[in-house]
Amino acid sequence: MILEMKNISKYFGPVKALDGVNFTVGEMEIHGLLGENGAGKSTLMNILGGALQPNEGQIFIDGQLIEEMTIHKSNALGIKFIHQELNLVNGLTVFENLFLGQEITNRVGLLDRKTMIARTREVLERLKLDIDPLEMVTNLEPSRKQLVEISRALMFESKLIIMDEPTTALTNNEIDILFNIMHSLKAHGLSIIFISHKMPELFAICEKYTVLRDGKFIESGYFKDIDEQKATNLLVGRSIVDNLQVKEDVRGQVVMQVSGLTCKSHFRDISFDLREGEVLAITGLHGDGRGELSEALFGARHVDAGTVTLRGKRLNLGDIRHVMRAGVGMVPRNRKERSIIKDMSILNNLSMAYFVAKHNKFFINKKEEDERFRRNQKITNIRVSNPEDDITSLSGGNQQKVIVSRWLELNSDIYILDNPTQGIDVGAKAEIYKMVVELSRGRKSLIIFTSEFPEIYKIADRCLVMYEGHINAELDREHLTEVNVMFYATGANKEGIIGKTI
Amino acid sequence: MGKPSSNPFKNLKWEKIRTLGSKYTYLISFIGLLTIATVINPLYFSYGNLSTLLLQASIKGIIALGMAMLIIAGMIDLSVGSIVALVSGLGVVVLNATGSPWITLAFCIVFGSLLGTVNGLLVTLGKIAPFIVTLATMSAYRSIIVQLGQGGPFNVDSEILPSFRMIAAGNVLGVPNLALIFIGIMIVVSVVMARTKFGRYVYAVGSNEQAARLTGINVNLIKTMCFTITGLLAGISAFLLMSRLTSITAPNAGSLFELDAIAGVAIGGIAMTGGRGVIAGSFFGALMVQMIEGILIASRIPPFLNGLVKGIIIIFTVLLQRKKTNNQ
Repeated sequence: MILEMKNISKYFGPVKALDGVNFTVGEMEIHGLLGENGAGKSTLMNILGGALQPNEGQIFIDGQLIEEMTIHKSNALGIKFIHQELNLVNGLTVFENLFLGQEITNRVGLLDRKTMIARTREVLERLKLDIDPLEMVTNLEPSRKQLVEISRALMFESKLIIMDEPTTALTNNEIDILFNIMHSLKAHGLSIIFISHKMPELFAICEKYTVLRDGKFIESGYFKDIDEQKATNLLVGRSIVDNLQVKEDVRGQVVMQVSGLTCKSHFRDISFDLREGEVLAITGLHGDGRGELSEALFGARHVDAGTVTLRGKRLNLGDIRHVMRAGVGMVPRNRKERSIIKDMSILNNLSMAYFVAKHNKFFINKKEEDERFRRNQKITNIRVSNPEDDITSLSGGNQQKVIVSRWLELNSDIYILDNPTQGIDVGAKAEIYKMVVELSRGRKSLIIFTSEFPEIYKIADRCLVMYEGHINAELDREHLTEVNVMFYATGANKEGIIGKTI
Repeated sequence: MGKPSSNPFKNLKWEKIRTLGSKYTYLISFIGLLTIATVINPLYFSYGNLSTLLLQASIKGIIALGMAMLIIAGMIDLSVGSIVALVSGLGVVVLNATGSPWITLAFCIVFGSLLGTVNGLLVTLGKIAPFIVTLATMSAYRSIIVQLGQGGPFNVDSEILPSFRMIAAGNVLGVPNLALIFIGIMIVVSVVMARTKFGRYVYAVGSNEQAARLTGINVNLIKTMCFTITGLLAGISAFLLMSRLTSITAPNAGSLFELDAIAGVAIGGIAMTGGRGVIAGSFFGALMVQMIEGILIASRIPPFLNGLVKGIIIIFTVLLQRKKTNNQ
């Protein structure tokens, strides 16, 4: 199949998700689609799959103009989309999943199990997978589930397969199997669009590349003509860092030591020191185990090995309250799910951590509560008319300020902020940065988990870059550039041709 | 063009009335129901009648207070009626053996708490949904007392009976003891829920369990304690039931108490999804359930249809609550 997407634009309200993008995939071609989070890859693929309608532009398949692409039409044309997240039903067997919604029935309308099992076995054998068609999906390892998901796309006649980060859950061995499958599919005349953040994989399996950045088409070409460094540069572009004055360095002695922290299937052997007054950023791309690490540091996730010590005293990572009282506070990611208590007032939301760690009296004193709120309102600049209102009446930025205050109230030595500026406006972001800098000046240490480079650049003294569950690089201010961060976050320094680090 | 707003103060006033209205929905519906009852029977609104209402509602109402706490925490307990049966049946045995109401009261409180704690531990440590756990214990607790009571009802011995029945039948300055106990417990539970950190935790767990955990709240402990307190209140309720009836028939005692308690909580404006509502709501809710029974009798509707009416009320109030949250 030859696919041509011409001049595709897509707006979400005032936001231009795609701006005149051209994308071409040739016959029997494995094409790598590259771009940072939010570059427009998913939007473009969803348009191809018929899930979204473009505002402008045309799609040609084998030279034919396709009008009004729908999911149904895209399916009928032989375009199969293997999604990043698993779409399998755990309570059904492998073959039932493969045929879900497209079951084969006999003359009286009953399911023809025999034929379906035989067909499933055929496909699995073709892919050299030793999975029993009658196995329940829930009993399969995540990586095997991913392979079942892939075989589902191969079950029916297809001409173009879109794979959105298919290797995230796979082991090295299985990645090899997948790559073999891809080669044989290609030999059978199929084309594949391969979306990945991992440079070694892209260079290993794809012939051509297309880079998107901020919804725009940047460049297309052959992987053999570029190296990892060039690819990283294309991905990032010339980064514009606005000239907010860079944070001064007030680092003192080491306060926290993390050593050999491991949580199987998420991260392994994480070791680092944190100094007084330091702002340490930890970054990476989707699937790097960063979110799980942040939870583990706060005692909210079971760890298999490793220790965290605070001024020489070992933390009991099995008990959040112990970690809190030892002087660690945490602003979790996904405010709505992990921080906000939606049925409670602003006042009560703010006081919650204080109650847990410090409140010793039997009754709650209304006057003390009001004072606590007013004191924090001054520090974090929460804009609110009545603190008794529900927290959900506030804007995202103000909600986040309430949550930050919740933890400031404990006067911890160390603050873990996991994606603290998620979904808040620019003004509120700036206020949070200001607060981080002030905390650091007040001898507090901060660990900030984030994927936004401008944020790291503004506030971090040092940055750890994670790749596939381990720390791939440690960058001090001197080496802190977006290109460097992206280089290590994509594992461009791993295996294969290694470009020179700056 | 026209003035932007004719009178900002007037709007402000309306806003205030509206928020007050949504805060005290249970009072508004209580007054509404009282009006209906008085229209049907002009003699309804009298001191004697209202104190009888409190008295009648008290034994089930005490359980509704615990149920309110559980539902605010996002859970439910279907076993309360069976706890009442088991505790009161054995309570009669203890009373007859010791002759002491105080020892019996202590037994009811401890044993009720214990049965509640079993529910709580199965939910938290066993990681089983409250609905399933308490459905199972509802059947189990009742079964035990029915087996033990095979020889007939548990009767309070005749020599203790006259003094013991005065606990429920007596009054202080014309106010029935049961009404006083009900109001007293309501105040204690209200204060605990509104003014202590335990109360805040219960609301937090029911509103967003994940956030509660990440704020350092011991979610399992809070959940277990909610069940323990509900069991304790069911134990007190069992004690009062013994005094009121002086004879406990195992298959019937406390039967469908869970339904009345849940109905009371629902009418009392407590969110069935957890996290919202006040204890006073379940107090007035329990009164309203009792009033509805009275109204049905007064309007000559067959008492067999009681269950139908309560069922409809629960569904109706939950639908109303959903509409309210959707509007927000």
